[in-house]
Amino acid sequence: MENQKFYYDNKIVKLFVLATIIWGVVGVIVGLLIALQLAFPIFNFDLEFTTFGRMRPLHTNAIIFAFVGNAIFAGVYYSLQKLLKARMFNDMLSRIHFWGWQLVIVLAAVTFALGISTSKEYAELEWPIDILITIVWVIFGWNMIGTIVKRRVQHIYAAIWWYLATFLGVAMLHVVNSLELPISLTKSYSIYAGAQDAVVQWWYGHNAVAFFLTTPFLGLMYYYLPKAANRPIYSYKLSIIHFWSLIFLYMWAGPHHLLYQALPDWAQALGVTFSIMLIAPSWGGMINGLLTLRGAWDRVRDSAALKFMVVAVTAYGMSTFEGPMMSLKFVNQLTHFTDWTIAHVHIAGMGWNAGLVFGMLYWMIPKLFKTKLFSEKLANLHFWIATLAILIYAIPLYWAAVTQWLMWHEYTPEGFLAYPNFLETLTQILPMYKIRIVGGTLFLTGFLIMVYNLYKTMAAGSVEDNELAEAPALVLQGKRNPMQETVHRWVERRGVRFSIWVFIVLAIGGAVEILPMIFIKSNIPTIESVKPYTPLELEGRDLYVSEGCYTCHSQVVRPFRWETDRYGEYSKIGEFVYDHPFQWGSRRTGPDLARAGFVGGPMYKNSAWHYSHFMNPQKMNEQSIMPKYDWFARKGLNLELVPKKIRAMQTLGVPYPEGYDKVAVDDLKKQANEIVADLKKSNIEVKPLTEMVAMIAYIHKLGRDIAPPPVAAAETEETPQKEVKLLDSAEDLAVAGKIFATTCAACHGADGKGIATFPNLTDDEWLKGNSPSEVFRSISNGNITKGMIPYKNQFSEKQITQLTSYVLLKLNKKK
Amino acid sequence: MKIVSNLLQQIEGIQIYYIIGLLLFVGLFIVIVIRTMRMPDKEMEEIKSSILKDDDSEETATS
Repeated sequence: MENQKFYYDNKIVKLFVLATIIWGVVGVIVGLLIALQLAFPIFNFDLEFTTFGRMRPLHTNAIIFAFVGNAIFAGVYYSLQKLLKARMFNDMLSRIHFWGWQLVIVLAAVTFALGISTSKEYAELEWPIDILITIVWVIFGWNMIGTIVKRRVQHIYAAIWWYLATFLGVAMLHVVNSLELPISLTKSYSIYAGAQDAVVQWWYGHNAVAFFLTTPFLGLMYYYLPKAANRPIYSYKLSIIHFWSLIFLYMWAGPHHLLYQALPDWAQALGVTFSIMLIAPSWGGMINGLLTLRGAWDRVRDSAALKFMVVAVTAYGMSTFEGPMMSLKFVNQLTHFTDWTIAHVHIAGMGWNAGLVFGMLYWMIPKLFKTKLFSEKLANLHFWIATLAILIYAIPLYWAAVTQWLMWHEYTPEGFLAYPNFLETLTQILPMYKIRIVGGTLFLTGFLIMVYNLYKTMAAGSVEDNELAEAPALVLQGKRNPMQETVHRWVERRGVRFSIWVFIVLAIGGAVEILPMIFIKSNIPTIESVKPYTPLELEGRDLYVSEGCYTCHSQVVRPFRWETDRYGEYSKIGEFVYDHPFQWGSRRTGPDLARAGFVGGPMYKNSAWHYSHFMNPQKMNEQSIMPKYDWFARKGLNLELVPKKIRAMQTLGVPYPEGYDKVAVDDLKKQANEIVADLKKSNIEVKPLTEMVAMIAYIHKLGRDIAPPPVAAAETEETPQKEVKLLDSAEDLAVAGKIFATTCAACHGADGKGIATFPNLTDDEWLKGNSPSEVFRSISNGNITKGMIPYKNQFSEKQITQLTSYVLLKLNKKK
Repeated sequence: MKIVSNLLQQIEGIQIYYIIGLLLFVGLFIVIVIRTMRMPDKEMEEIKSSILKDDDSEETATS
């Protein structure tokens, strides 16, 4: 048959390549910034726009959607045209796709810095940008499927199956997870609540990893690895089996992000079961990739591109083994809420995703620019620096995870938590955070070396925007002949039919997870005492969401003794029925706050403490890494939206009384004035309609509805006054000094002179007396309404006697 | 959606239906494996080698 002439669109590939490089540098720099913030809080710059809570989503989104996203599109646009022997379906669609995606990225960066966020991890963007993403994504799919339809080859190569699965999977995940009720242009509420929202979010979150960071990269691996090695993929049969297995199984495994949390057991079992099963298809891909290089390892020695690809496939194998192991419930106790998760995602991100992107760029750019790579030596230098950086980044974080977890559940022989103050467990791992910065800096250095190398390569060559090619036209085969064509060959030679099958396979897992949680009421038992948020608490909650507090503080207590002793009663599903969205978090860089409003509980602090803590966390505790939020005291609330928010909540099923929206602002002002009056008792002046007051109201709501009455609790557990003999040995005072520094200094100051309104322990003005027995009793029983918890629940009698001795002998200078 | 909700709530022990999904997967997996393994090797070789038949496929050039 006569060949047809056509032109490849290389210009669109070049644009996506440039965007990949630019956004990659930006994403890594922001990553380095947040790593610095965790080790040295000064890098929050005391600005609201650069706090960790706002920068962390910027880093994750910049890496996932800007760097990796543009790399996927560059790789797909290049390989799709070559595989199908056709120009992209429509140039205009290609351009809209490119510029639309860059617009999404810029809008994301601006809105995150401004504190506009839905707080759903990796889906933090607000609804107008969600809609824009949907439009751009559909254009990408339309362009891709259009190209498949007008192709000149009979067979749709395996790489393209993965691209199709990516398009369909992400479309489904994004639309379902982003269903939200808009309040204004910059604010919306998720239509799901509490446990339902958690299941939908982690169905999305887990599968965003699957369909944005795995399936497209498997597609890229199936094209670029054989091309770079100049050898066909090891087994095409294996590619068929692991394709269908992987896309089917991935969709079911989301609940493994919610083990031991407020979720039905059946959903947790579902997540664990399918996570373990995922090892098989994942390793099918890894084996297929690595065995492609059999007999060609000498080429790996000579090519940095292939080296990066080998590291990528190896990191993929490691991560897809580690992930299922982390899904085992007993392992998950350790890995969840610790830095293990952070190490895990960075092995995958820096090894698998970035490794494959680097390999692809080193191979593709010389081809695209019709020249040679400027320097293979620099590329090899980049390879070794990047590989070393991954290790220096991840090993300290695994160490930090184990250290912190061991400290969380360490008990004294008397049966008390050995480290009751969360901050002690964080301070211990700060050296690991500092080493992590070295890893990040090395990775950035390698990246910049690549940028220089590729810039010089591009400068030495030129891209032919429209590259001439020719191939014979496609002859349609018509109906299937069972004697000559297998079912799979028949399915895959029609792009639309293939896509429909992929969609069905993907939809099954999602439906199994989500539909029962939404439709079966027995899965979400309600608790009568749990009431909707007051308008002021709702305002505070919206602030908590937009500031990204979930990036450090979880709000779900797991049913372990070492969690309930530290935080309070474990969390129940029914507590979260009014939470749009849920705020369970996934990492505890700060303590869990689910019981922060439980008066008399271990996490309760009064309004004055919260005010002082937001104004300057380091003043309350020198080692705190929390940024300042002093602008909370200056910024006012927008009351215009309050009635609208109440009506939106009513629409979502929150049982506010009919017409409550009309009196909501009055209720808000009343509650704000009560908090202001409470602060005034501590000589703190703050305007009632400020963000500070709303945040205090919200934090005091957390866990309050299921707490027992505080007065009754205090009365039943009062410790009577008894004779106390002070312990004046150096050893006892040293032990007490350590307890004071980690537990008491947050309110009374390191020198005992008190912070803000918290009492001075060095003078003689003691409301409850400062005899040894009186001080012992004050420490034992606490002062619940002032935020001092009964420390007899955290320390042994001996420790309290030591502390009494330290306070009186060292601080109060009694003899 | 109300009709779906009502229908699902009436099904006793619906929580275990993921086990049905699991069995569905295992069944389909076996079928796909058998059918895939029976595909002609020659055809598979042709497909996987097809991507190397263009100008891009010479070894990576370096300076």
